[in-house]
This record gives sequence, structure tokens and C-alpha cells, in this order.
Amino acid sequence: MTIKEKLTILSDSAKYDASCSSSGSKRKNTDGVGNAHLSGICHSFASDGRCISLLKILMTNVCIFDCKYCINRKSNNIKRAIFTPEEICEITINFYKRNYIEGLFLSSGIIKSADYTMELLIKTISLLRGKYHFNGYIHVKAIPGASNYLLKKLGSLVDRMSANIELPSNESLKLLAPDKNTDKISNIMQTIKDKRNRNFVPAGQSTQMIIGATKETDLDILSKSDAMYKKYELKRVFYSAYVPVNKDKMLPIVNMPPLTRENRLYQADWLLRFYGFKVNDILDSNNPNFNLLLDPKSDWALRHLNEFPKEINTASYYDLLKVPGIGVKSAKKIISNRRVFKIEFKDLKKMGISLKRAKYFILCNGVYFMNQSLFKENIIKNNLILESKEEIASGVKQLCMFNE
Amino acid sequence: MNKVYLYDGEFSSLLTLIMSLIQIKPKDVFIKSDGDFKPNLLDNPIYLNIENKEEKLKYINKNVSREVMHILYYVYLSNDENKENVMYYFLLNSFKYGKDILYHGDLNCVNKALKISKYVGNETHKLKGFLRFKKMKNNFYYAEVEPVNNVILLLAHHFKMRMPNEYFLIKDVKRKIYVMYDLKKLTILYEEDIKKLNIDVSNDEIYIEELWKEFFYTIAIKERENKKCQMNFMPKRYWNHMIEMEENL
Repeated sequence: MTIKEKLTILSDSAKYDASCSSSGSKRKNTDGVGNAHLSGICHSFASDGRCISLLKILMTNVCIFDCKYCINRKSNNIKRAIFTPEEICEITINFYKRNYIEGLFLSSGIIKSADYTMELLIKTISLLRGKYHFNGYIHVKAIPGASNYLLKKLGSLVDRMSANIELPSNESLKLLAPDKNTDKISNIMQTIKDKRNRNFVPAGQSTQMIIGATKETDLDILSKSDAMYKKYELKRVFYSAYVPVNKDKMLPIVNMPPLTRENRLYQADWLLRFYGFKVNDILDSNNPNFNLLLDPKSDWALRHLNEFPKEINTASYYDLLKVPGIGVKSAKKIISNRRVFKIEFKDLKKMGISLKRAKYFILCNGVYFMNQSLFKENIIKNNLILESKEEIASGVKQLCMFNE
Repeated sequence: MNKVYLYDGEFSSLLTLIMSLIQIKPKDVFIKSDGDFKPNLLDNPIYLNIENKEEKLKYINKNVSREVMHILYYVYLSNDENKENVMYYFLLNSFKYGKDILYHGDLNCVNKALKISKYVGNETHKLKGFLRFKKMKNNFYYAEVEPVNNVILLLAHHFKMRMPNEYFLIKDVKRKIYVMYDLKKLTILYEEDIKKLNIDVSNDEIYIEELWKEFFYTIAIKERENKKCQMNFMPKRYWNHMIEMEENL
């Protein structure tokens, strides 16, 4: 088999992993090749709009597991391939020096045993860091069930190490990925959390959940994310709209991946991490799923209209963050600017703060942007839905959250 | 006739000219680099005789923050038609308002300076990803870029840190400027300095490019195709120097 054929097989089977991030590490160059860029760099964008930052490949798509949703499950009759450590290093270095990539994202099917696979991964990364003097970004997937001493060895070589939980509940995992139980994943996450420092997984860990393959509500999924962020100090949870690659009576039939739902989860995930929202502010047992017509913050704001409009010149940082359309950067800018002058509507525009959604929810110096008698739920709601529909139709802004 | 103050295109010359003008306080200020200025009937070009250049530069460095200097430099690198005037008013107000200058969103010059420098920073960041090197016969790496703003020196600094043991040459196609790295330092070169560029690629170049294109096309999930999103993040103007996009042009 040629290198090119191997690359086709082993990148094709790696593409369903949503993570592409190369941020969070400050690895320096020590007279070799490469360094890491703290904010990450996207080197290209594939035709699905996803950022290409790392050479995302499997070491092998041979696997002893039989996870129902996975293209590489052992019961599938597909072409199998395996890269040698040298081959992976050569491609990585050659791509890196031409500036195609920021580094390597290496995952693998489980060949022979978890420990055997893990040792091959360690051999590859050691070679890349050692003989090839590569100081660029490396993200590696830890193999569920591998021994802790191997986890610790691999973690000391890479910028990010992670394990995918894949499904939001134990029952679903049992149903669709019987070999991959939750304990194995939690053990990896706990070990990384406990050992993490400047020289061990400096860019932290992330995980991924498949959306729409099982019966969980958005509330279930978001609660799971929230719990994992708190318990394991994850940097990111990636959400991956279910794309059917296998036929199985356990799997649902879907025509289109649930991309809007995926987008809403990313938006809500942001609200949890940076905007001071709690899971129960966003969803609860009466409303366990997202409104697909409105982003979660607008939806929340309309349900709490009595807290609005907020005065731009006096509202606290977290109150500003509650305004739909105002993000972390805008809120900080407003706060630093209003110490120096009184902000009016025309200033916000000049400062580059988007008023598209925000205008309905704010006052500037006591002034509303239109007749204040129009500050009514149904009027605002209709306008927001109209704008949201236009955005979806344009196809640009939506569904691009995973790149940020 | 409108007075137009000219400078030689260098950052330090522009700063000293702006300092001189701040002292003279003319009624209207128009500044242009002599390379950009086109003689016409309405404009009266003026070269000021600037004294004490060193002192003027020291004064600026002492009286504005590093952040303000950074913004001034990035605006200077931009392609904005009025950049010199934006810099004039931005520096004038920086002296007036001190460290609060960056928070004066009520002043046009502040918003413009922030916007332009952000644009230059964004383009530099994008090109740190989108620039493509080719490996050449005699073992150096060569890239061509066509940035809107004059950012190849910033790019070269990035690659010098990243690949200190590789010779490389980056060309700004539109401006016809090159930055060369010789394992020690970066040098700016012009068309006349490059006598004969050997543009033969190394033997494995085509093969590696093929591998990269194969990876690029395989990694996309067909069920999620979204070319608008792709183009939004990777504007078309960068495509003709990215080997994986050539077929899409």
C-alpha cells in the first residue's frame, strides 16, 4: 500500500473528530523545528467550513472494539491500514515545514490491546519529539483501558491529550459502545487533571459528544458538559452532529446531521464558560430542548424581559453579558470606555459593537433606540426570529462555532 | 492649494514628521508618503526640514504606552488611504489624554486607529496559517503572498522563531518586496537585489503537495458541506497562493 493510500484511509476515518484546536500551548523552539502559538492557527478550511489546523489522522483504523456508530468498528468490512511511526513523522515534518499544518492530531483504533496501541503511539511521538526535534503542537487521543504509567508517559510528550466520552449517558454508551465503558474514560480524564502542569498536557484536555444518535435531551447533554467542566477542568467539550456511517438497528435514521442543534449547544456551552450562566438558566425540565429558532441567550432574555432594558452606562459586567449580541470583548470595551465618557447609541456603532440584537435590550443614557412603547415581548421576538432566519439562510454565521 | 506633507515611507520619518506638525499645528493636515503621492494641480507637496529627529522619537517613546506604539506601527503597515492622518490625530490625542486614549470610543481617530490596526493584526494572523512554502532545489523554502497590508516582515519574524534552522524567502508579489532569512537575521530585499531566483522546486515537492491535497479533500465531511462558511473564514483573495485551493479558482 502506498503512503498516499494509507493517508486517504487514515484521514478519512479520523475526520469525524470535531476537535481541531491548536491553542493553549506556549511550547518554545529549542533548536529544532516548530513552536506552538498560544492562540492557535488555522491553516486552511475544508469544504465543510471546518478549520484545518492539525494533520488529523489515525495511526491505524484496525480496531478490536465494535462501537455501533463508528466507521472503524471491527464488524465493518472496510479497507484497513496502519502507519509506521517513521511514516507519521515524515509526513508531519514535511507538512509542517511547508506551513500546511500547526502540528499533529493522532488518534488510533485499538490494535491487539489498549497497552499495545498506547506503546505504538508513545513510540511515534517520542520519535517526533526526539529524533525529528519537533516542537510544534501535538494532540493525542489516549486509548481507553490503557495502563496509567503509559498515560503518564504519553502526557509528558504532548500539548493536549484527551479521551472522547462520545455519548452523554452510561446507558447510551452501554448500548452503542459496549467495550468503551465510562470508567475507562473517567480514569483518563482524572489522571490528566491530577498530573497536569507546564510539562504535562500544557494545553489541557478536551472531549467530544455525538449529538442525535441517542435519546438524550439538550438538558442532559449540557448538564453532562457542565459536570465534566467542573470535575476534570476540561478546556473544551466538542459537539458533533451525528452523521450516520453505519446501518444498525440500534441507530436512529437521520437524513441530515442535526447541525442547528449542534450550534445551539456550542452557544450554550459558551454561556456556561464565559457568561456566568448556569445550566438551569438556559434549560430546565419543562424546557429540556433548545428553541431552534432563537439563540439560547435571546431565548433567555425574552423569558426575563422584566430585567431589561439594561443601561449601558451603569450595568455591571455580568449584566452586560446577559444582553443578546454583547459578548465578552464588547462588554469589556463598554466598561473601559464609559469611565472616560458617557456612551450614546452613535458611539456604540463607531466602537464596532454590533447592535443587531443588542439594541432591543439596552438604554444609552436613558434613551431607547425606538419608541419605548414598542419594548414588548412579541415585537422583539418577531424581529429576532426574522434576523435569525436571515442568518441561517445566508449559511455563514451559523454552524461555525467550532472554529472559535 | 492644499498643503501635502511628504515623507520617505519610513516609520521613523513619519513619526518625526507628525511630531513636527504637532508643534506647528497647521489648520489642515494631509500627510502622504512620497511613493504614494501623485503630483496634481490642487496639491502643493512640502518636505519639512525636520530637526532633532532622535529627540522627537525619544519624546514619543517616553510619553505614550507600548500599546499605543504598537497600534501606530500596525496602522503604518496598513493599506489605508488616510493612515497617516489617522496616526496624526491619534498621536495628538494620545499626548492629550494619556493612558485613557484607548478608551475614547467617542473620538473618530481612536476608533479608526483601533479598527485599522486590528485589521492588520487579523491579516497577519490569517497569513501565518495560509502562507505556503515550497521546498526549492538548493534546500531553501520559498513563499509568495499578496497581502492587502504590508505584513511580510511580521510574517517573517514568526517563521524565524518557528524554523530557525531553515533558509527561507518570502515575497510580497504586489509590493515586490522580499524578506530573506539566512539562519542568522532577516533582510529586506527589493526586485533589483534578486538577480536570478532559482525557482526549481525540490524533487519531492510535487509528491508532498499531492499528499497534502489528498488530505485536504479527504478530511471534509461531505454531509456537512458549507462552502459559504469556508469562504467566510478563508477569503478568496488568498486562494491563488494556496496549493489546495488552486483547483477551486
